[in-house]
Amino acid sequence: MDAMAELSAEQGYEATKIGDLVRRAGVARKTLYDNFDGKEAVFLAAVDGAVEDVSGRVEEACAAADGEWSQRVEGGLRAFLGYVAENPAAARMCMIEAISATPTASARYDEALRRFVELWRRSAPVEADLPETIGETLIGGVAWIVYQQIRRGGAGQALDLLPGLSEFVLSPYHGVSKLSPEPGGESNSTVADSNS
Amino acid sequence: MERLPRGRHGLSPEFVARNQRERLISGLIEVLYEVGYQKTTVSLIGQRASVSKSDFYKHFASKDDCFFAAYETAIERIRKQILDACTAHEEDEWSPRVRDGIAALLSSFASDPALASISLVEGLRAGPGVYDRYQAAVESFIPYLRNGAPQAPGGGEVPLATGEAVVGGIASLLGRRVLAGDVEKLEELLPDVLEFALTPYLGATEARRIISAG
Repeated sequence: MDAMAELSAEQGYEATKIGDLVRRAGVARKTLYDNFDGKEAVFLAAVDGAVEDVSGRVEEACAAADGEWSQRVEGGLRAFLGYVAENPAAARMCMIEAISATPTASARYDEALRRFVELWRRSAPVEADLPETIGETLIGGVAWIVYQQIRRGGAGQALDLLPGLSEFVLSPYHGVSKLSPEPGGESNSTVADSNS
Repeated sequence: MERLPRGRHGLSPEFVARNQRERLISGLIEVLYEVGYQKTTVSLIGQRASVSKSDFYKHFASKDDCFFAAYETAIERIRKQILDACTAHEEDEWSPRVRDGIAALLSSFASDPALASISLVEGLRAGPGVYDRYQAAVESFIPYLRNGAPQAPGGGEVPLATGEAVVGGIASLLGRRVLAGDVEKLEELLPDVLEFALTPYLGATEARRIISAG
């Protein structure tokens, strides 16, 4: 499965052949077929393993960060970006190759996204004013930024994204407790000023 | 799209060719919506468009080639609707412009599920090379959000990455809804999506005020 992550990240899922896999993993072709039905099965197992790994880490980090909700969010984000930085091949496999490798693989990607949205819903403060879809748009936005970072070959520097992404995901919650309400007139002038 | 009359019709060959090409593109978008990328074949596209297989290959080298053309067509159709909606506003009316742009985006998807499907779902999963186009398309919409946008509530310019995350997040939400079969209900998401888009630029409080003001 590690070989699958490496190869699909290097050359793409389509171009990765069973022959490449067994060579890279240093196992016999027969051994591979004893354990898996074929290339797609290896790929799905590798994706599942990585998703388990990263979501476990994120959940742990969220639980470990005590105190304010914003610290839990930052802890979870840091764990996620840290995983991407340490496992660039697995990250590329899950966030780029899986989307289009096969229909089952893209369903796994959707499922992983759903899992993070659920985690968000469970841990975010219940805020009646916020849109119901806020978890989906925030997680989707984070996934998009990380996806771009990986595609640019910057997976290793994923942690550089932490401050910007923290601000992004926390901004909808700011008005609730931190920022005092701004009078409408003042905000409008901000809008006008910035256009000059 | 109407097929042209058979036999002698006095139409120029260029006209016939352009019409065939447009029919093939529309045919692909429809077939793709009905059966998905994997099961979409050149024969099915040709049947739907009433264009022979050999004529298909006069226009496109392969199914993917036709897909790319269809993808561009779909994105340009959406872009036109957004731009038409935005031009009703002056340069300094940022939030009303964003609102109308998002409303136009949602209504163009809701009124044309096949268009929504190719743009938001199939464009991402039809294989390598296709998602380059999805990425380029998503990126091309970022300036509509950022142009004329106010500074961050805490001062300073809102980072480019935030605009990317907003547009990427909206695309992700809409894609999930299209996959779940809720394409006709996309317009109901306008308040949510608008609040999400305005918040990084105006702050949560002001964004909420605008949404509740309608």
